Amino acid sequence: MASSSSSGITFKLHPLVIVNISDHYTRLKAQTLHSGESSSCAPPSNGGTAGSAPPAPPRVFGCVIGVQRGRTVEIFNSFELLFDSKTHTLDRAFLEKKQELYKKVFPTFYILGWYSTGSDVEEADMLIHRSLMDINENPIYVLLNPAIIHSQKDLPISIYETELHVIDGNPQLIFVKSSYNIETVEAERISVDHVAHLKPSDGGSAATQLAAHLTGIHSAIKMLNSRVRVLHQYLVAMQRGEIPLDNSLLRQVLSLLRRLPAIESEKFQDEFLMEFNDTLLMTYLAMFTNCTGTMNDVVEKFNIAYDRHSRRGGRTAFI
Amino acid sequence: MASSSSSSSSSATALRRWELENQIVGSEEPDRDLIYWYDEAANSRAQQEKPWSTDPHFFKKVKVSALALLKMVVHARSGGSIEVMGLMQGKTLGDTILVMDAFALPVEGTETRVNAQADAYEYMVDYSTTNKQVARPENVVGWYHSHPGYGCWLSGIDVSTQMLNQQFQEPFLAVVIDPTRTVSAGKVDIGAFRTYPQGYKPPDDPVSEYQTIPLNKIEDFGVHCKQYYALDITYFKSSLDSHLLDLLWNKYWVNTLSSSPILASRDYVAGQIFDLADKLEQAENQMASARYGSYMSSSQRKKEPEESQLTKITRDSSKITAEQVHGLMSQVIKDILFNSSRYHQCTADPSGPEPMVEA
Repeated sequence: MASSSSSGITFKLHPLVIVNISDHYTRLKAQTLHSGESSSCAPPSNGGTAGSAPPAPPRVFGCVIGVQRGRTVEIFNSFELLFDSKTHTLDRAFLEKKQELYKKVFPTFYILGWYSTGSDVEEADMLIHRSLMDINENPIYVLLNPAIIHSQKDLPISIYETELHVIDGNPQLIFVKSSYNIETVEAERISVDHVAHLKPSDGGSAATQLAAHLTGIHSAIKMLNSRVRVLHQYLVAMQRGEIPLDNSLLRQVLSLLRRLPAIESEKFQDEFLMEFNDTLLMTYLAMFTNCTGTMNDVVEKFNIAYDRHSRRGGRTAFI
Repeated sequence: MASSSSSSSSSATALRRWELENQIVGSEEPDRDLIYWYDEAANSRAQQEKPWSTDPHFFKKVKVSALALLKMVVHARSGGSIEVMGLMQGKTLGDTILVMDAFALPVEGTETRVNAQADAYEYMVDYSTTNKQVARPENVVGWYHSHPGYGCWLSGIDVSTQMLNQQFQEPFLAVVIDPTRTVSAGKVDIGAFRTYPQGYKPPDDPVSEYQTIPLNKIEDFGVHCKQYYALDITYFKSSLDSHLLDLLWNKYWVNTLSSSPILASRDYVAGQIFDLADKLEQAENQMASARYGSYMSSSQRKKEPEESQLTKITRDSSKITAEQVHGLMSQVIKDILFNSSRYHQCTADPSGPEPMVEA
């Protein structure tokens, strides 16, 4: 996990970008696979190989947009770009057109870099990277590896920055991998959760809702537990001497432990209990309303059953 | 380590059982991605035949792709309390409308639609041409907009817009998203609708899922609710999508644990309680007048409006309370997880009485 980026910029990636790139790739793969069979005109693909069967899945290219605040770069969205495979350049006019369209809807975002699919950084990528440098002085390159390897544990996405290094006496730009975090807003998280686990979309009973909610939290806590266990085993092994001591890791673990308990002030306790009481009050109110409704029903039925003769003056039974 | 493998297998069986219960069609790998292929021939054939022009109830189901859903929800939420709108692209497949992608339109609100039409059309044409160049040849198949905080249904203006669309731009679908309720309830609040043509009477009363509508909008809802019907929404994703989303969970669990639905929907909950109070008052007035007014009328009719109103209010209050309690549960769990060393220092105290859950 040690990043070799020395620029100290933190990257935050939104899941929408990931789904965007994946969708673009899947679309293109489906199109080329099918038009490779029929010998009709090939769809205007970007960077696709010659239409012999079966063509290697083409690389897709696009732009990522977002915001940069200080040292934090937050990537919110992305859109597709046209790539000319002969000259290895991106279609500039297209880029500007798309950028204009997106500016209208998301006025705060601007181009942060570009993305592509593949398993590793290629030589030609540097050219593309350079061409984007006039829009953003330090563009980023997001690479997604679309190969589905089931034993993979980590997201096959890497973010690269460029750095000026002196190699053989010439200053050259090379790609440097950086680490990133996944950032999300509440609504995004819920919809990703929804699609990932394909939860039932309708209300269902309160019991299923409760179950769904608690299951989510339960899985999250399970993850936390497994991570903590791994750390624990590592430390025990270190204690027994099976693994050489690593002081920096020990320091990190110590700082982590020092952070618990998370909040300890009086004020927090007060606020927390107040929140608790507010919710209990709401439950009380809801119960009250429920009781009132039931009482009302009882009174209605009583009235119908027993009062009709005295009040209505001779009205006979109605259905 | 053994426990984790057994738990993963139990989760796999649980998933399969759940899929069976909900009749999720298990799409195999090659089939699943086939949906992304745009079949020119089949589509133009469908356009010519127009099977939907004979049957107003032709389309029954909607399949939304993961990407479209994500884009729509994010866009709707980014509007805050302002309504936003956009278009959806896709194709039809028998009686199902498939929504492959969505994009936002730079217009706001539904009142100003008349003037913003030209702007929106220009944007739409530009966007569609650029899309066709990047291997997205699907046509516009519907529009979506958001109702922040007041539920998924079509207002009067929406109904007339949709009827117009269905006359000239068939096949067309209307989708409504409520981002506020999504965040509050923890599940996506979305509805897909098609209107009946003018004067058409549906053969049977469509049974729609109940949802609470705020008092100031309930009239608009009631007047038009018979003019459209809702379609079933299911979701699909590609194999790469599911693979990525599974892996995403490795990083995502942090966000799930740290999310705090109470904080996010404070305003909304307060608004709902206010609204419930108003509705209660209204119900009370109605009951008081009904007591003196309608002795002559059959008791059946008298019973219907008041009872169902009070039961509706009860249901609303239970729903909002349940959501609040869920949020509180998360908070309590987090408190126990991360603050419990404090509890161990003092005498072992239970962390407070368990909140009662509304059935």
